[in-house]
Amino acid sequence: MKKLGPIEIEVIRNALTAAAAEMDITIWRTSRSTIVRELLDYSTAVFDAEGQNLAQSARIPGHLNSMTHALRTLLADHVQPEAWHEGDVVIFNDPYCGGQHLPDILAFRPVFHGGARIAFVGTLCHHIDVGGLVAGSYAAKATEIFQEGLRIPPVKLIERGVRNEGIWAMIRQNIRKPDLLLGDLSSQLASLEVGAAALARLANRFGAAAMIEAGQRILDMSEAGMRAAIGRMPDGVYEFEDFLDDDGIDLGKRIRLHVRLHIEGETARVDLSGCSPQVAGPTNATLASTNAAVMFALMCCADSSLHMSAGCYRPISVTAPEGLVVNARHPAPVAHRIAVTHRLLNAMNGALHQAVPDLIPAAYYGNSYVTTFQTVKESGQRDVLVEIEIGGSGAHPAKDGVNAYASGMHNNSNIPIEMIEAQLPLTVLRYALRDGSGGAGMRRGGLGLVREWRVDSAHCFFTANMDRFDHAPYGLAGGGPAAKGALVLRRDGAESPIPPKTDNLKLQQGDVVRLETSGGGGFGPPADRAPDASDRDARMGYA
Amino acid sequence: MSATQPVRIAVDIGGTFTDFQILDQRHGRVMAWKAPTTPADPSEGLMTGIRQAAARFGFALADVGLLLHGTTIATNAVLERKLASGVLLTTAGFEDVLEITRHVRRDIYGLAPDPFPCLMDRDRRFGVVERMRADGSVEVPLGDLTALTDRLRAAAPEAIAIGLLHAYANPAHERALRDAVAKALPGVPISLSSDISPEIREYERLSTTVLNALLMPVVQRYLARLEARLGEDGFRPRIFLVQSNGGMCSLRRAAEQPARLLLSGPSGGALAAERLSRRLERPNLVAVDMGGTSFDVSVVQDHVIGLVTQGEVDRLPVRLPMVEMRTIGAGGGSIANVDAAGRLTAGPRSAGARPGPVCYGRGGTEPTVTDANAVLGRLDPDFFLGGAMALDLAGARAAMETRIGTPLALGTEAAAEGVLRVTNAQLAAAVRLSLFEKGLDPRDFALLSFGGAGGLHATEVADELGITEVVFPREPGTLSAYGILFSDLVQDLARSRLYRDDQAEAVAAAVEALRAEADARLAEDGVAPAQRAVEISADLRYRGQAFELLVPWPEAPALPPLLARFHATHRARFSYAAEGDPVEIVTLRAAAIGRLDKPEEASATPADTATAPGSRQVWQGGAATSWPVWRRERLRLADTIEGPAIIEEAFATHVIAAGWRAALDPEGAIIARRIAA
Repeated sequence: MKKLGPIEIEVIRNALTAAAAEMDITIWRTSRSTIVRELLDYSTAVFDAEGQNLAQSARIPGHLNSMTHALRTLLADHVQPEAWHEGDVVIFNDPYCGGQHLPDILAFRPVFHGGARIAFVGTLCHHIDVGGLVAGSYAAKATEIFQEGLRIPPVKLIERGVRNEGIWAMIRQNIRKPDLLLGDLSSQLASLEVGAAALARLANRFGAAAMIEAGQRILDMSEAGMRAAIGRMPDGVYEFEDFLDDDGIDLGKRIRLHVRLHIEGETARVDLSGCSPQVAGPTNATLASTNAAVMFALMCCADSSLHMSAGCYRPISVTAPEGLVVNARHPAPVAHRIAVTHRLLNAMNGALHQAVPDLIPAAYYGNSYVTTFQTVKESGQRDVLVEIEIGGSGAHPAKDGVNAYASGMHNNSNIPIEMIEAQLPLTVLRYALRDGSGGAGMRRGGLGLVREWRVDSAHCFFTANMDRFDHAPYGLAGGGPAAKGALVLRRDGAESPIPPKTDNLKLQQGDVVRLETSGGGGFGPPADRAPDASDRDARMGYA
Repeated sequence: MSATQPVRIAVDIGGTFTDFQILDQRHGRVMAWKAPTTPADPSEGLMTGIRQAAARFGFALADVGLLLHGTTIATNAVLERKLASGVLLTTAGFEDVLEITRHVRRDIYGLAPDPFPCLMDRDRRFGVVERMRADGSVEVPLGDLTALTDRLRAAAPEAIAIGLLHAYANPAHERALRDAVAKALPGVPISLSSDISPEIREYERLSTTVLNALLMPVVQRYLARLEARLGEDGFRPRIFLVQSNGGMCSLRRAAEQPARLLLSGPSGGALAAERLSRRLERPNLVAVDMGGTSFDVSVVQDHVIGLVTQGEVDRLPVRLPMVEMRTIGAGGGSIANVDAAGRLTAGPRSAGARPGPVCYGRGGTEPTVTDANAVLGRLDPDFFLGGAMALDLAGARAAMETRIGTPLALGTEAAAEGVLRVTNAQLAAAVRLSLFEKGLDPRDFALLSFGGAGGLHATEVADELGITEVVFPREPGTLSAYGILFSDLVQDLARSRLYRDDQAEAVAAAVEALRAEADARLAEDGVAPAQRAVEISADLRYRGQAFELLVPWPEAPALPPLLARFHATHRARFSYAAEGDPVEIVTLRAAAIGRLDKPEEASATPADTATAPGSRQVWQGGAATSWPVWRRERLRLADTIEGPAIIEEAFATHVIAAGWRAALDPEGAIIARRIAA
């Protein structure tokens, strides 16, 4: 076989990335729900015949690097390699079969050329509702996965091009917004079709053997880039731990995320055995989520030109015994797995700081501040607002953290205040940077936010899920911690705290809810801060 | 334009060159000219170029009746932060909205992010106690402003931006504030969000208003210099400026609303693509403009280029209508590189105009896409820019060998071919995505290639896309100016208010008010009633969606055809329509158009005597062979160019790849067609 030259490799690599981008646009063009279309909570990717990710279009770190785990698990344990046929599509959302949490439905399709399977294409979409205790399938008080919604094991939704109507009907019957979910699921199928066609075009041009060789070389080159990055880190064992406040059930019982990072030459071993046992509430993660956080932390340390593929994972191994919060055992609930990954990333960065102190920033806010207002007017009309807020990024050794910066495992936008007020009986009274919320240091942590909502309807049900109210984002190298979060109810002039994990708190007209988010930790001793930087902080009111 | 002033000039001032297209109605010929840009005072280079062109083409400065002016002066002022020092007045409690932005980060893996740019520091953002509601009613009235105006005087701003919550729904507080501020600080320019971008979404409106405020002193200085040149040697044309929406505006309006100039750079090319689409009778064109640093893709569908309602400059949103464009960082100056992992990339880093490609001999050391073309013999080292600049071929070869060939264990020519292949794949991907996101198939389109570097790549990019026809228009190096030459005055008005689809009467009243305002604006600009047109459009969405689709509305204010077109557009773009779902109208728009007369343009004059092509050695597929080299101005209608071949003209070189056949069109364009698979 003729060995491919570097030019062919690059052209094929570009084409694979373009295929993932076309799949991405297909979902954006054809999906129905706001969560997919406007929050862009989906990803698309191209894999080799063994399920190794070659190219991806993901925007959300929580999705990145979880799909290879999902597809490899699928191939190893659920749908044997010989059981895949041309035109099949397998879907699933089960965290205990390689998924993350139930709202995320994965769909994979094999690509054949000349009778041989040469690739897979895959999509992951966060769906607006998959049934369960509460609308949105994010129950804060679930204690087993059966309460969290419809659980789909790996099944062939499409077999040799023919849709299984029984499965379709089964899904329709078990969810709150069937038109939206099935519409989004259809767009996942359309995306797979587009991806398969793009790969077929490529295979026709270069041949199946060249595609397979190119895939291997892409993985090898990513591996080499990742090995080089790890190789630059001094050998050693680096430990760090950080904590989630609690799981919302056992209040005040902190959850430990402990990382023991072994750097040995060009390989990294990440031992998570010191993490807390799994918890009763939904603040648990399965391996797909855990791996995503670990890989993301290490991949951030590589050169900016590193091609992100499954080759990057090869020099990294993860030890996470079953029964821990990072590898929950069935039937633990997992809806809030994002909280676990935020804190695990904080802990990974704390360990990495000891290895590469010039590279790693102090802790970001480490949290998705999810609030839901369900307003009820006198007429009975109900409207729902879901917002996800952020905080400040951690100070970097070379520069201050960024005020109000979407950091770490998630990446989302805020909602225009004028849009909210035009659509719902809510008034936003204040939206501001939170003075003094960044950790002090030679480099200051970015500031968190303050947002206040006033209820203008007769009633309103308020739900929240957030953390870092007890355990502040840490500073590094002598830098101070950031401020903890706060959630406050103001009623008739008096203020009282709202628990950060709250389901359906009943509010009345005139009530004001204030959220104060954490900033990022500081870096270096505050005494070393340049006088002009301190002056500027004072002038701007940041400190 | 009168019989006594028969010359119309379009000028496009770019970073390196100022491009001219000149139409003399006495004979209808369109002539192109180029002069170096003079960054310190661009009006100087403009006048120099006009004088040169007048001498060259035989007209007097007094003959010029119309000067249509495209400029990147506003854009460059933002990129280089050569802006005024200003203050923002905004609703108390929301002073930080400008700094908080919309959050979503772009560099997913970055550990040391830069903040989104924010043009007003926190100590220059002053809160004003007041509050409007979404329906335009007042919740908190505007109070005493004495303390505020004292604080403003102490801050001594050069410009003031005023942006209050829900001012799009009721501008009363913004106007009262303006009056008070104007009295306290006479002479300081003031921008109101309700004037500049009266649309819902506070951050985007504020960003646009702040940009406008900080640009006002800068643009006004330039316009004053330009006006000062009027009268030199009888040069006294009417002057209009090109806006981001592809239309022209008066000097006065440009001085008041310079933000409308911010994204005007690509609009000339888009206008040209639209015009050529009609003249060449090709309704579907995908236009690609490849210059030194970027590759701009725009789509002409059924003879029309789409507008979008928002763009951005340096990550700062600009909420104003602009032509729809996809830009990637791939141009002739894009730098090729082999990284530590052995991966070959081209761009997005660019050598720009300075130092430029290695072969320019201005100190560039990193090989670029232009160097690859030179190494392979596709560019003639002795005929670059019509012979105005000799290329340093040896330097280009050495850079290609040491930086690309050696690390990849490839010969110099193979390395250069690799750079082109990687580049072409990127260009093709950008074109495919531009069409794909609209649900369009490349095979239904012809490729319109222009810009200094476009012609070197066009047929090979078309091959990657399955496109079988490529159009090389006349004067590809000054095509933007050509587009400007035939444009109209356009003022965009907008009115944001959330209407449901059952509020026909309220919508109709708003449309009538918009029309009246549009007509008044045209009258103000001295447009005769017969030359006026008002085009209504609307931004609609299904209830629950967070973004809108811009839909033309010629039948306004009749709602049913608007809703039908919305459903149809939604289906075409997003593959489904929810006809039973409630629809919301978020923004109503009016384009007030003052038609400029369109003088007849003479057809091109092809050569009448045959000239045999020259030839040169060009590398392809690992071997050098002799390719014919044609001179564009010597082409006859009867000439047939079989690829592989090269066509040269003063400011561009075109490659006709193997399997393509090209010929001159009576309009003067070269049309290449795929003849073999």
